[in-house]
Amino acid sequence: MINKKGTDKIISIYWFVILIIVAGGIFAMVSVFYGSPYDVRAIEAELLTNKIADCLSYGGGLDKELFIDADVLKGFKENFLELCKINFNVEEKFENEPQYYLKIGVFAIDSLNTPAVSLVEGNRNLVASCNVQEDKEFEKLAKCNKRKLYSTLNDQQYLIEILSIVKKTQENVK
Amino acid sequence: MEIVNSFPNKRGTILVENVVFIILNLVFLGILILFIMKQGSGAVVLEQSYAKQIALLVDSAKPGMKISLNMKEAIELAEKNNVLDKMILVNGNIVTVKLSEKGGHSYSFFNDVEATAYRDQNNPDLYVFIIN
Repeated sequence: MINKKGTDKIISIYWFVILIIVAGGIFAMVSVFYGSPYDVRAIEAELLTNKIADCLSYGGGLDKELFIDADVLKGFKENFLELCKINFNVEEKFENEPQYYLKIGVFAIDSLNTPAVSLVEGNRNLVASCNVQEDKEFEKLAKCNKRKLYSTLNDQQYLIEILSIVKKTQENVK
Repeated sequence: MEIVNSFPNKRGTILVENVVFIILNLVFLGILILFIMKQGSGAVVLEQSYAKQIALLVDSAKPGMKISLNMKEAIELAEKNNVLDKMILVNGNIVTVKLSEKGGHSYSFFNDVEATAYRDQNNPDLYVFIIN
C-alpha cells in the first residue's frame, strides 16, 4: 500500500473529471467573452449627436448659413446631411435597412411647445427602441442618444433638441 | 521491545506526491493561460477591435486632423500573415482591417470626410490617419 495516497490523487478518475470541468468552464467563458462583438453603438450615437450639435451651433451661436433664409429659420432642411458633412451610407449587408435616425427640433425659448424648425432623417422605425434600450432583454434594438442645448441668434434664445439613433445590431450584438 | 516502522519513507513520499501534484497543476494553469492569451490576440478579435476603433476616431475627427494610432499588435500579426500591404483599407466611409489572408472586418463611419491611412516612417508601430 506504499504511495497509495499519492497515486490515487494523480491518476484518480475524479481528478481528471475535475480538470475537464474546470478547463471546459474556462473555455466556455473565454469563448463567450471573445465571441461577443464590442458594442460601440452608444458611443457612435453620442458622436453623431456631437457632430450635429457642432454643426448647428458652434461656440453657442446658431449657424446663420444653415438657418437663415429671409429672416426665417428654415434653411437647413434641404441638404442638411451634406451641409453638416454626415454620410449615412453603410456596409452592403445593411443597405436594405437604414441604420441611422436623427431628429432635430429647434424651439424659440418663448415658444417651447412648437418647434421653430424640425428635421427628421433616416429610419423612423428605430424610434421605438429608445424607451426600452436600458433593458438587457432588448439590447438587440438600436441605441439612442438624446441631448438638449441652448443657443442664440440675433439676441433670441433657442433650445435645440437632438435625438440620434444607431442600429447596426448585427455588428455589435451577438 | 522492538519498534517496527510501519510507514517507511513517509516524509519522502509526501514530498514527491505533492511536488508532482503542484507541477501538474502549474502545467494545467499554464496551458489555460496560454489559451486565453492566444484567444485575446487572435486575428478576428483584433480586426474587429481596430476597425471599430478607427471608425470611431474618424467619426470624432474634424477636417485637417492627423491622428496617430498605435497598432503594434495588428502590425505584428499582419506581418506574420503576409497581409501588411493591405492591412487597412478606407473605401468611401467604410474602413476595413485585414490581419489574415481569409479574414477582414469592415465598419462604417458617418463623418463625411476623406480619410487616408499610412504607416508612420519614424515609428513603425504607429499608423497615421489624415482627415480631409
